[in-house]
Amino acid sequence: MLDIPSLERRWLKYKIKHFLPYVALIVILLLIPIIMISLYSNNNASLPDIKKENNPKKIQLIVPMNEEPMVLEPSMQFIQSLPAPTSETNAISPSTLKITPKAVISQKSAPPIQSSEIKPITAVLPVTSSVIQTKQTNKPSSINRDTAAFDIHEIEERFKNNSNPHLGLYIARYHYDHTNYSEAYNYALKTNAINNTIEESWLIFIKSLIKLGKTDQAKKTLQLYISQSNSDSAKILLDSLEKEESK
Amino acid sequence: MEYSLFIKPKELFIDIVNPHDYVQIDSVSHMYQSLKTSVQKPLKMILLYGRPGTGKSMLLHKLHHDLSKHQKVFMIDIPIIDENDFLRVLAQKIYGYVNREVITLTSFLELASAVNYPQTPLVLLDEAQLYSAALMEKIRLISDARALKFVITLHKTDDEDIIAKEHFQTRIWESIELRNATPDELKIYIQKKLLKSNCFDIANMINDKNIKIITKLTKGNYRDANKLMFSLFSLYAWFEEHYPNKINYNSLKPKWIEMAAIHTGLIHA
Ligand SMILES: Nc1ncnc2c1ncn2[C@@H]1O[C@H](COP(=O)(O)OP(=O)(O)OP(=O)(O)O)[C@@H](O)[C@H]1O
Ligand SMILES: [Mg+2]
Repeated sequence: MLDIPSLERRWLKYKIKHFLPYVALIVILLLIPIIMISLYSNNNASLPDIKKENNPKKIQLIVPMNEEPMVLEPSMQFIQSLPAPTSETNAISPSTLKITPKAVISQKSAPPIQSSEIKPITAVLPVTSSVIQTKQTNKPSSINRDTAAFDIHEIEERFKNNSNPHLGLYIARYHYDHTNYSEAYNYALKTNAINNTIEESWLIFIKSLIKLGKTDQAKKTLQLYISQSNSDSAKILLDSLEKEESK
Repeated sequence: MEYSLFIKPKELFIDIVNPHDYVQIDSVSHMYQSLKTSVQKPLKMILLYGRPGTGKSMLLHKLHHDLSKHQKVFMIDIPIIDENDFLRVLAQKIYGYVNREVITLTSFLELASAVNYPQTPLVLLDEAQLYSAALMEKIRLISDARALKFVITLHKTDDEDIIAKEHFQTRIWESIELRNATPDELKIYIQKKLLKSNCFDIANMINDKNIKIITKLTKGNYRDANKLMFSLFSLYAWFEEHYPNKINYNSLKPKWIEMAAIHTGLIHA
Protein backbone atom coordinates (compact mmCIF):
# COMPACT_ATOMS: atom_id res chain seq x y z
CA MET A 1 0.00 0.00 0.00
CA LEU A 2 1.37 3.40 0.98
CA ASP A 3 5.07 3.75 1.59
CA ILE A 4 4.90 6.68 3.95
CA PRO A 5 8.64 7.09 4.71
CA SER A 6 9.50 7.24 1.01
CA LEU A 7 6.55 9.59 0.45
CA GLU A 8 7.90 11.87 3.15
CA ARG A 9 11.32 11.89 1.51
CA ARG A 10 9.80 12.72 -1.86
CA TRP A 11 7.71 15.43 -0.23
CA LEU A 12 10.80 17.02 1.30
CA LYS A 13 12.55 16.93 -2.06
CA TYR A 14 9.51 18.52 -3.66
CA LYS A 15 9.34 21.26 -1.04
CA ILE A 16 13.01 22.11 -1.39
CA LYS A 17 12.64 22.22 -5.18
CA HIS A 18 9.48 24.25 -4.87
CA PHE A 19 10.84 26.86 -2.50
CA LEU A 20 14.35 27.12 -3.91
CA PRO A 21 13.47 29.91 -6.38
CA TYR A 22 11.63 31.83 -3.68
CA VAL A 23 14.48 31.44 -1.22
CA ALA A 24 16.91 32.59 -3.88
CA LEU A 25 14.70 35.55 -4.68
CA ILE A 26 14.35 36.53 -1.03
CA VAL A 27 18.09 36.23 -0.50
CA ILE A 28 18.69 38.45 -3.53
CA LEU A 29 16.10 40.94 -2.38
CA LEU A 30 17.65 41.03 1.07
CA LEU A 31 21.14 41.37 -0.32
CA ILE A 32 20.31 44.28 -2.60
CA PRO A 33 19.46 46.75 0.19
CA ILE A 34 22.41 45.53 2.24
CA ILE A 35 24.77 46.11 -0.65
CA MET A 36 23.13 49.42 -1.40
CA ILE A 37 23.45 50.51 2.21
CA SER A 38 27.08 49.49 2.42
CA LEU A 39 27.87 51.22 -0.86
CA TYR A 40 25.95 54.28 0.20
CA SER A 41 27.66 54.46 3.57
CA ASN A 42 31.06 54.07 1.91
CA ASN A 43 30.31 56.93 -0.44
CA ASN A 44 29.14 59.03 2.41
CA ALA A 45 32.03 58.24 4.69
CA SER A 46 33.30 61.80 4.25
CA LEU A 47 29.89 63.40 4.36
CA PRO A 48 29.37 63.52 8.12
CA ASP A 49 32.74 65.25 8.43
CA ILE A 50 31.63 67.96 6.07
CA LYS A 51 28.53 68.40 8.11
CA LYS A 52 30.52 68.69 11.28
CA GLU A 53 32.65 71.34 9.71
CA ASN A 54 29.62 73.15 8.50
CA ASN A 55 27.85 73.35 11.79
CA PRO A 56 30.24 75.67 13.62
CA LYS A 57 30.32 77.89 10.56
CA LYS A 58 26.60 78.14 10.65
CA ILE A 59 26.67 79.12 14.28
CA GLN A 60 29.31 81.69 13.59
CA LEU A 61 27.24 83.16 10.86
CA ILE A 62 23.96 83.19 12.63
CA VAL A 63 25.05 85.01 15.74
CA PRO A 64 26.82 87.98 14.22
CA MET A 65 24.29 88.31 11.45
CA ASN A 66 21.76 89.52 13.95
CA GLU A 67 23.77 92.66 14.15
CA GLU A 68 25.76 93.30 11.02
CA PRO A 69 25.30 90.55 8.53
CA MET A 70 26.91 92.34 5.58
CA VAL A 71 30.07 93.35 7.39
CA LEU A 72 30.54 90.06 9.11
CA GLU A 73 30.63 87.85 6.10
CA PRO A 74 34.22 88.51 4.99
CA SER A 75 35.35 88.01 8.55
CA MET A 76 35.27 84.27 7.98
CA GLN A 77 38.63 84.48 6.27
CA PHE A 78 40.08 86.35 9.20
CA ILE A 79 39.00 83.69 11.59
CA GLN A 80 40.65 80.99 9.59
CA SER A 81 43.89 82.91 9.27
CA LEU A 82 44.05 83.75 12.94
CA PRO A 83 45.79 81.49 15.46
CA ALA A 84 43.51 79.19 17.39
CA PRO A 85 41.76 81.32 19.92
CA THR A 86 41.56 80.65 23.60
CA SER A 87 39.32 82.69 25.74
CA GLU A 88 38.03 83.65 29.04
CA THR A 89 34.59 82.44 28.36
CA ASN A 90 32.63 83.93 31.21
CA ALA A 91 33.51 87.40 30.20
CA ILE A 92 32.01 87.08 26.76
CA SER A 93 28.37 87.86 26.42
CA PRO A 94 26.18 89.13 23.62
CA SER A 95 25.67 92.39 25.47
CA THR A 96 29.37 93.18 25.57
CA LEU A 97 29.56 92.23 21.96
CA LYS A 98 27.04 94.81 21.02
CA ILE A 99 28.84 97.52 22.88
CA THR A 100 32.29 96.72 21.60
CA PRO A 101 31.99 97.73 17.97
CA LYS A 102 30.26 100.98 18.93
CA ALA A 103 32.97 101.81 21.46
CA VAL A 104 35.65 101.13 18.92
CA ILE A 105 33.96 103.33 16.36
CA SER A 106 33.46 106.15 18.81
CA GLN A 107 37.15 106.28 19.54
CA LYS A 108 38.01 106.38 15.92
CA SER A 109 39.42 109.37 14.25
CA ALA A 110 40.70 107.47 11.26
CA PRO A 111 38.92 107.12 7.90
CA PRO A 112 35.69 105.08 8.10
CA ILE A 113 36.63 102.64 5.34
CA GLN A 114 39.65 101.40 7.22
CA SER A 115 37.85 101.03 10.46
CA SER A 116 34.95 99.17 8.94
CA GLU A 117 37.39 96.72 7.45
CA ILE A 118 39.01 96.04 10.76
CA LYS A 119 35.89 96.17 12.84
CA PRO A 120 34.65 92.73 11.88
CA ILE A 121 37.66 91.19 13.53
CA THR A 122 36.74 92.61 16.85
CA ALA A 123 33.10 91.80 16.42
CA VAL A 124 33.37 88.31 15.05
CA LEU A 125 36.28 86.84 16.83
CA PRO A 126 34.64 86.83 20.24
CA VAL A 127 31.61 85.10 18.84
CA THR A 128 33.51 82.29 17.27
CA SER A 129 35.74 81.76 20.20
CA SER A 130 32.90 81.88 22.64
CA VAL A 131 30.88 79.40 20.65
CA ILE A 132 33.72 76.99 20.44
CA GLN A 133 35.33 77.51 23.78
CA THR A 134 32.36 77.66 26.11
CA LYS A 135 31.57 74.14 25.14
CA GLN A 136 35.05 72.95 25.90
CA THR A 137 35.98 74.62 29.16
CA ASN A 138 34.69 76.94 31.82
CA LYS A 139 38.14 77.68 33.18
CA PRO A 140 39.35 81.16 32.31
CA SER A 141 42.55 80.68 30.40
CA SER A 142 45.49 83.07 30.52
CA ILE A 143 44.97 86.19 28.51
CA ASN A 144 46.84 86.66 25.31
CA ARG A 145 46.66 89.14 22.51
CA ASP A 146 43.97 87.25 20.60
CA THR A 147 41.44 87.31 23.35
CA ALA A 148 42.22 90.90 24.17
CA ALA A 149 41.79 91.95 20.60
CA PHE A 150 38.08 91.48 20.53
CA ASP A 151 37.27 93.48 23.62
CA ILE A 152 39.90 96.10 24.14
CA HIS A 153 37.89 97.77 26.87
CA GLU A 154 37.91 94.66 28.90
CA ILE A 155 41.65 94.31 28.54
CA GLU A 156 42.18 97.93 29.38
CA GLU A 157 40.19 97.23 32.52
CA ARG A 158 42.44 94.33 33.30
CA PHE A 159 45.56 96.32 32.64
CA LYS A 160 44.34 98.95 35.05
CA ASN A 161 44.03 96.29 37.71
CA ASN A 162 47.17 94.26 37.28
CA SER A 163 49.53 96.60 35.39
CA ASN A 164 50.94 93.77 33.36
CA PRO A 165 53.37 95.40 30.87
CA HIS A 166 52.57 92.75 28.25
CA LEU A 167 48.94 93.70 28.50
CA GLY A 168 49.86 97.32 28.16
CA LEU A 169 52.02 96.61 25.13
CA TYR A 170 49.21 94.65 23.61
CA ILE A 171 46.74 97.52 24.07
CA ALA A 172 49.22 100.00 22.69
CA ARG A 173 49.83 97.80 19.66
CA TYR A 174 46.11 97.37 19.20
CA HIS A 175 45.43 101.10 19.22
CA TYR A 176 48.34 101.80 16.94
CA ASP A 177 47.03 99.21 14.46
CA HIS A 178 43.65 100.85 14.75
CA THR A 179 45.17 104.25 14.05
CA ASN A 180 44.21 105.46 17.53
CA TYR A 181 47.63 106.98 17.95
CA SER A 182 46.89 108.98 21.06
CA GLU A 183 45.65 105.85 22.80
CA ALA A 184 48.63 103.93 21.49
CA TYR A 185 50.89 106.70 22.86
CA ASN A 186 49.19 106.56 26.26
CA TYR A 187 49.44 102.82 26.67
CA ALA A 188 52.98 102.63 25.37
CA LEU A 189 53.92 105.33 27.87
CA LYS A 190 52.22 103.43 30.70
CA THR A 191 53.91 100.20 29.63
CA ASN A 192 57.32 101.87 29.50
CA ALA A 193 56.71 103.21 32.97
CA ILE A 194 56.14 99.73 34.25
CA ASN A 195 58.89 98.12 32.24
CA ASN A 196 61.26 100.33 30.29
CA THR A 197 63.11 97.50 28.59
CA ILE A 198 60.40 96.53 26.09
CA GLU A 199 61.67 97.63 22.72
CA GLU A 200 58.37 97.30 20.93
CA SER A 201 56.61 99.46 23.46
CA TRP A 202 59.17 102.21 22.95
CA LEU A 203 58.87 101.99 19.20
CA ILE A 204 55.07 102.19 19.35
CA PHE A 205 55.43 105.19 21.66
CA ILE A 206 57.78 106.94 19.21
CA LYS A 207 55.82 106.01 16.09
CA SER A 208 52.62 107.25 17.73
CA LEU A 209 54.35 110.54 18.40
CA ILE A 210 55.36 110.75 14.75
CA LYS A 211 51.81 109.97 13.66
CA LEU A 212 50.49 112.60 16.00
CA GLY A 213 52.83 115.05 14.32
CA LYS A 214 55.18 115.38 17.26
CA THR A 215 58.26 114.51 15.27
CA ASP A 216 60.64 116.49 17.42
CA GLN A 217 59.55 114.80 20.61
CA ALA A 218 59.76 111.49 18.76
CA LYS A 219 63.32 112.15 17.67
CA LYS A 220 64.37 113.12 21.18
CA THR A 221 62.81 110.07 22.66
CA LEU A 222 64.40 107.90 19.98
CA GLN A 223 67.86 109.26 20.65
CA LEU A 224 67.36 108.76 24.36
CA TYR A 225 66.19 105.24 23.86
CA ILE A 226 69.03 104.39 21.47
CA SER A 227 71.55 105.66 23.96
CA GLN A 228 70.11 103.41 26.63
CA SER A 229 69.25 100.29 24.64
CA ASN A 230 71.40 100.43 21.52
CA SER A 231 68.40 99.11 19.64
CA ASP A 232 68.92 98.53 15.92
CA SER A 233 65.25 98.96 15.12
CA ALA A 234 65.30 102.28 16.91
CA LYS A 235 68.37 103.34 14.92
CA ILE A 236 66.70 102.39 11.63
CA LEU A 237 63.61 104.31 12.66
CA LEU A 238 65.68 107.36 13.50
CA ASP A 239 67.51 107.14 10.17
CA SER A 240 64.32 107.02 8.18
CA LEU A 241 62.91 109.86 10.27
CA GLU A 242 65.93 112.06 9.54
CA LYS A 243 65.86 111.18 5.86
CA GLU A 244 62.19 112.12 5.78
CA GLU A 245 62.99 115.45 7.35
CA SER A 246 65.89 116.24 5.04
CA LYS A 247 63.63 115.83 1.99
CA MET B 1 -7.97 -4.54 12.12
CA GLU B 2 -9.21 -2.12 14.73
CA TYR B 3 -11.86 0.43 14.04
CA SER B 4 -10.50 3.18 11.87
CA LEU B 5 -11.95 6.63 11.48
CA PHE B 6 -10.50 7.00 8.01
CA ILE B 7 -11.41 3.77 6.25
CA LYS B 8 -14.96 4.83 5.48
CA PRO B 9 -14.10 8.25 4.08
CA LYS B 10 -11.38 6.64 2.05
CA GLU B 11 -13.83 4.28 0.41
CA LEU B 12 -16.19 7.16 -0.33
CA PHE B 13 -13.69 8.50 -2.81
CA ILE B 14 -13.10 5.35 -4.82
CA ASP B 15 -13.44 6.43 -8.41
CA ILE B 16 -16.61 4.70 -9.45
CA VAL B 17 -19.76 6.12 -10.98
CA ASN B 18 -22.81 5.24 -9.02
CA PRO B 19 -25.93 7.40 -9.37
CA HIS B 20 -26.66 6.84 -5.68
CA ASP B 21 -23.48 8.72 -4.88
CA TYR B 22 -24.57 11.68 -6.95
CA VAL B 23 -23.94 14.92 -5.11
CA GLN B 24 -25.99 18.00 -5.82
CA ILE B 25 -23.70 20.80 -6.86
CA ASP B 26 -25.45 23.96 -8.04
CA SER B 27 -23.88 24.24 -11.46
CA VAL B 28 -24.11 20.52 -12.09
CA SER B 29 -27.71 20.40 -10.94
CA HIS B 30 -28.44 23.23 -13.33
CA MET B 31 -26.91 21.26 -16.18
CA TYR B 32 -28.78 18.20 -15.10
CA GLN B 33 -32.08 20.07 -15.19
CA SER B 34 -31.43 21.41 -18.66
CA LEU B 35 -30.42 17.93 -19.75
CA LYS B 36 -33.69 16.56 -18.43
CA THR B 37 -35.76 19.17 -20.25
CA SER B 38 -33.79 18.66 -23.42
CA VAL B 39 -34.56 14.98 -23.25
CA GLN B 40 -38.27 15.79 -23.20
CA LYS B 41 -37.98 17.94 -26.30
CA PRO B 42 -38.26 16.34 -29.72
CA LEU B 43 -34.50 16.52 -30.19
CA LYS B 44 -32.64 13.80 -31.96
CA MET B 45 -29.31 13.97 -30.27
CA ILE B 46 -27.99 15.60 -27.15
CA LEU B 47 -24.32 16.01 -26.50
CA LEU B 48 -22.71 16.09 -23.10
CA TYR B 49 -19.08 17.04 -23.30
CA GLY B 50 -16.21 18.14 -21.16
CA ARG B 51 -12.75 17.21 -19.98
CA PRO B 52 -12.12 13.80 -18.42
CA GLY B 53 -13.35 13.58 -14.86
CA THR B 54 -15.83 16.44 -15.01
CA GLY B 55 -18.79 14.19 -14.24
CA LYS B 56 -20.24 13.32 -17.65
CA SER B 57 -20.61 9.65 -16.85
CA MET B 58 -22.04 10.53 -13.49
CA LEU B 59 -24.65 12.77 -15.04
CA LEU B 60 -25.51 10.16 -17.61
CA HIS B 61 -25.90 7.52 -14.93
CA LYS B 62 -28.01 9.86 -12.89
CA LEU B 63 -30.23 10.56 -15.86
CA HIS B 64 -30.55 6.86 -16.53
CA HIS B 65 -31.42 6.20 -12.94
CA ASP B 66 -34.00 8.96 -12.74
CA LEU B 67 -35.70 8.40 -16.09
CA SER B 68 -35.86 4.62 -16.07
CA LYS B 69 -38.78 4.80 -13.64
CA HIS B 70 -40.91 6.66 -16.17
CA GLN B 71 -39.76 5.73 -19.65
CA LYS B 72 -37.84 3.28 -21.73
CA VAL B 73 -34.17 4.25 -21.34
CA PHE B 74 -31.15 2.19 -22.09
CA MET B 75 -27.58 3.05 -21.31
CA ILE B 76 -24.46 1.76 -22.96
CA ASP B 77 -21.72 2.82 -20.57
CA ILE B 78 -19.08 0.63 -22.11
CA PRO B 79 -19.06 1.35 -25.83
CA ILE B 80 -20.02 -1.44 -28.16
CA ILE B 81 -17.61 -0.88 -30.96
CA ASP B 82 -18.86 -3.54 -33.32
CA GLU B 83 -21.74 -2.25 -35.48
CA ASN B 84 -23.61 -5.55 -35.60
CA ASP B 85 -23.30 -6.08 -31.89
CA PHE B 86 -24.46 -2.55 -31.29
CA LEU B 87 -27.75 -2.99 -33.22
CA ARG B 88 -28.35 -6.45 -31.82
CA VAL B 89 -27.92 -5.30 -28.23
CA LEU B 90 -30.26 -2.36 -28.81
CA ALA B 91 -32.89 -4.59 -30.46
CA GLN B 92 -32.75 -6.94 -27.55
CA LYS B 93 -32.68 -4.35 -24.75
CA ILE B 94 -35.30 -1.98 -26.17
CA TYR B 95 -37.57 -4.17 -28.21
CA GLY B 96 -36.95 -7.50 -26.56
CA TYR B 97 -35.92 -8.94 -29.88
CA VAL B 98 -33.40 -11.73 -29.45
CA ASN B 99 -31.62 -12.82 -32.58
CA ARG B 100 -28.15 -14.21 -33.07
CA GLU B 101 -28.08 -13.13 -36.66
CA VAL B 102 -26.90 -9.84 -38.02
CA ILE B 103 -29.49 -7.08 -37.82
CA THR B 104 -29.35 -4.59 -40.65
CA LEU B 105 -30.24 -0.99 -40.15
CA THR B 106 -33.33 -1.42 -42.24
CA SER B 107 -34.58 -4.37 -40.19
CA PHE B 108 -33.74 -2.44 -37.02
CA LEU B 109 -35.88 0.51 -38.14
CA GLU B 110 -38.69 -1.88 -39.06
CA LEU B 111 -38.49 -3.37 -35.60
CA ALA B 112 -38.61 0.07 -34.07
CA SER B 113 -41.72 1.08 -35.95
CA ALA B 114 -43.42 -2.20 -35.01
CA VAL B 115 -43.00 -1.59 -31.27
CA ASN B 116 -44.94 1.38 -30.01
CA TYR B 117 -43.73 3.26 -26.97
CA PRO B 118 -45.62 6.23 -25.58
CA GLN B 119 -42.34 8.13 -25.61
CA THR B 120 -39.41 7.70 -27.92
CA PRO B 121 -37.03 5.32 -26.12
CA LEU B 122 -33.87 7.00 -24.89
CA VAL B 123 -30.39 5.60 -25.47
CA LEU B 124 -27.50 6.93 -23.45
CA LEU B 125 -24.07 6.44 -24.93
CA ASP B 126 -21.10 7.09 -22.71
CA GLU B 127 -17.64 7.60 -24.16
CA ALA B 128 -18.97 8.22 -27.65
CA GLN B 129 -15.56 9.30 -28.94
CA LEU B 130 -14.78 5.59 -29.14
CA TYR B 131 -17.46 4.92 -31.76
CA SER B 132 -16.46 4.69 -35.38
CA ALA B 133 -17.64 7.22 -37.91
CA ALA B 134 -19.65 4.51 -39.66
CA LEU B 135 -21.44 3.56 -36.49
CA MET B 136 -22.07 7.18 -35.64
CA GLU B 137 -23.66 7.56 -39.05
CA LYS B 138 -26.01 4.68 -38.28
CA ILE B 139 -26.84 6.24 -34.91
CA ARG B 140 -27.70 9.47 -36.72
CA LEU B 141 -29.97 7.64 -39.16
CA ILE B 142 -31.76 5.92 -36.29
CA SER B 143 -32.29 9.22 -34.48
CA ASP B 144 -33.34 10.95 -37.73
CA ALA B 145 -35.97 8.28 -38.18
CA ARG B 146 -37.07 9.15 -34.65
CA ALA B 147 -36.83 5.52 -33.72
CA LEU B 148 -34.60 6.35 -30.78
CA LYS B 149 -33.33 9.45 -28.99
CA PHE B 150 -29.66 9.60 -28.08
CA VAL B 151 -27.73 11.30 -25.36
CA ILE B 152 -24.04 10.91 -25.94
CA THR B 153 -21.03 11.97 -23.90
CA LEU B 154 -17.75 13.01 -25.37
CA HIS B 155 -14.27 13.51 -24.02
CA LYS B 156 -12.97 16.92 -24.73
CA THR B 157 -9.22 16.71 -24.95
CA ASP B 158 -6.67 19.36 -25.62
CA ASP B 159 -5.21 17.87 -28.78
CA GLU B 160 -8.38 16.58 -30.30
CA ASP B 161 -11.62 18.50 -30.31
CA ILE B 162 -14.04 15.83 -31.38
CA ILE B 163 -17.03 18.10 -31.20
CA ALA B 164 -15.49 20.13 -33.97
CA LYS B 165 -15.38 17.00 -36.10
CA GLU B 166 -17.73 17.22 -38.98
CA HIS B 167 -19.83 14.11 -38.31
CA PHE B 168 -20.77 15.40 -34.88
CA GLN B 169 -21.20 18.97 -35.83
CA THR B 170 -24.11 18.46 -38.21
CA ARG B 171 -25.99 16.14 -35.94
CA ILE B 172 -25.86 17.74 -32.57
CA TRP B 173 -29.01 19.46 -31.60
CA GLU B 174 -28.13 20.41 -28.13
CA SER B 175 -24.84 20.33 -26.33
CA ILE B 176 -24.00 20.76 -22.66
CA GLU B 177 -20.47 21.35 -21.47
CA LEU B 178 -19.33 20.21 -18.06
CA ARG B 179 -16.44 21.99 -16.38
CA ASN B 180 -14.06 21.52 -13.50
CA ALA B 181 -15.27 22.56 -10.07
CA THR B 182 -14.54 25.88 -8.46
CA PRO B 183 -13.13 25.79 -4.91
CA ASP B 184 -16.63 26.33 -3.53
CA GLU B 185 -18.03 23.53 -5.65
CA LEU B 186 -15.23 21.20 -4.70
CA LYS B 187 -15.80 22.01 -1.05
CA ILE B 188 -19.49 21.19 -1.40
CA TYR B 189 -18.62 18.03 -3.28
CA ILE B 190 -16.21 16.73 -0.66
CA GLN B 191 -18.25 17.85 2.33
CA LYS B 192 -21.54 16.50 1.01
CA LYS B 193 -19.97 13.20 0.14
CA LEU B 194 -18.65 12.86 3.70
CA LEU B 195 -21.82 14.07 5.37
CA LYS B 196 -24.00 11.75 3.33
CA SER B 197 -22.09 8.89 4.90
CA ASN B 198 -22.14 10.43 8.38
CA CYS B 199 -18.43 11.16 8.46
CA PHE B 200 -19.02 14.34 10.43
CA ASP B 201 -15.68 14.37 12.25
CA ILE B 202 -13.78 14.08 9.01
CA ALA B 203 -15.94 16.71 7.30
CA ASN B 204 -15.11 19.07 10.15
CA MET B 205 -11.41 18.55 9.63
CA ILE B 206 -11.52 20.06 6.17
CA ASN B 207 -11.16 23.82 6.28
CA ASP B 208 -11.11 26.40 3.51
CA LYS B 209 -7.34 26.43 3.39
CA ASN B 210 -7.33 22.68 2.81
CA ILE B 211 -9.89 23.13 0.06
CA LYS B 212 -7.72 25.75 -1.56
CA ILE B 213 -4.78 23.38 -1.64
CA ILE B 214 -6.92 20.52 -2.91
CA THR B 215 -8.43 22.70 -5.63
CA LYS B 216 -5.02 23.91 -6.65
CA LEU B 217 -3.66 20.39 -6.88
CA THR B 218 -6.63 18.91 -8.70
CA LYS B 219 -7.60 22.00 -10.71
CA GLY B 220 -11.15 21.26 -9.58
CA ASN B 221 -11.31 17.95 -11.38
CA TYR B 222 -13.68 15.55 -9.64
CA ARG B 223 -11.78 12.45 -10.58
CA ASP B 224 -8.45 13.89 -9.44
CA ALA B 225 -10.12 15.07 -6.25
CA ASN B 226 -11.40 11.55 -5.67
CA LYS B 227 -7.96 10.06 -6.17
CA LEU B 228 -6.36 12.64 -3.92
CA MET B 229 -8.87 12.21 -1.12
CA PHE B 230 -8.61 8.45 -1.39
CA SER B 231 -4.87 8.41 -0.95
CA LEU B 232 -5.05 11.15 1.69
CA PHE B 233 -7.38 9.09 3.84
CA SER B 234 -5.25 6.01 3.22
CA LEU B 235 -2.36 8.05 4.56
CA TYR B 236 -4.39 9.15 7.56
CA ALA B 237 -5.37 5.55 8.19
CA TRP B 238 -1.70 4.61 8.14
CA PHE B 239 -0.79 7.31 10.64
CA GLU B 240 -3.78 6.37 12.74
CA GLU B 241 -2.33 2.91 12.99
CA HIS B 242 1.34 3.81 13.46
CA TYR B 243 1.59 7.34 14.89
CA PRO B 244 -1.90 8.31 16.06
CA ASN B 245 -0.63 11.31 18.02
CA LYS B 246 0.67 12.86 14.83
CA ILE B 247 -2.89 13.35 13.64
CA ASN B 248 -4.44 16.76 14.15
CA TYR B 249 -8.19 16.33 14.20
CA ASN B 250 -8.87 20.03 13.74
CA SER B 251 -7.69 20.31 10.17
CA LEU B 252 -6.03 18.39 7.39
CA LYS B 253 -2.27 18.64 7.30
CA PRO B 254 -1.18 20.50 4.14
CA LYS B 255 1.96 18.41 4.14
CA TRP B 256 -0.05 15.21 4.06
CA ILE B 257 -2.28 16.57 1.32
CA GLU B 258 0.84 17.19 -0.71
CA MET B 259 2.21 13.76 0.12
CA ALA B 260 -1.05 12.25 -1.11
CA ALA B 261 -0.75 14.37 -4.24
CA ILE B 262 2.75 12.99 -4.80
CA HIS B 263 1.40 9.49 -4.37
CA THR B 264 -1.40 10.02 -6.89
CA GLY B 265 0.91 11.74 -9.34
CA LEU B 266 -0.69 15.17 -9.09
CA ILE B 267 2.68 16.40 -7.90
CA HIS B 268 5.71 15.16 -9.74
CA ALA B 269 8.43 14.61 -7.20
N1 LIG C 1 -22.13 15.38 -9.11
C1 LIG C 1 -21.35 14.39 -8.69
N2 LIG C 1 -21.66 13.70 -7.59
C2 LIG C 1 -20.89 12.73 -7.14
N3 LIG C 1 -19.77 12.34 -7.74
C3 LIG C 1 -19.42 12.96 -8.85
C4 LIG C 1 -20.17 14.03 -9.38
N4 LIG C 1 -19.54 14.47 -10.48
C5 LIG C 1 -18.48 13.70 -10.63
N5 LIG C 1 -18.40 12.78 -9.67
C6 LIG C 1 -17.34 11.80 -9.47
O1 LIG C 1 -16.22 12.20 -10.15
C7 LIG C 1 -15.56 11.15 -10.80
C8 LIG C 1 -15.38 11.48 -12.25
O2 LIG C 1 -16.62 11.72 -12.85
P1 LIG C 1 -17.00 11.01 -14.23
O3 LIG C 1 -16.48 9.64 -14.29
O4 LIG C 1 -18.46 11.19 -14.40
O5 LIG C 1 -16.22 11.91 -15.21
P2 LIG C 1 -16.28 11.88 -16.81
O6 LIG C 1 -16.56 13.26 -17.21
O7 LIG C 1 -17.20 10.85 -17.25
O8 LIG C 1 -14.81 11.50 -17.18
P3 LIG C 1 -14.34 10.76 -18.50
O9 LIG C 1 -14.41 11.80 -19.58
O10 LIG C 1 -12.95 10.35 -18.20
O11 LIG C 1 -15.30 9.65 -18.71
C9 LIG C 1 -16.44 9.97 -10.61
O12 LIG C 1 -15.88 9.12 -9.64
C10 LIG C 1 -17.75 10.50 -10.09
O13 LIG C 1 -18.28 9.63 -9.12
MG1 LIG D 1 -16.91 9.05 -18.18
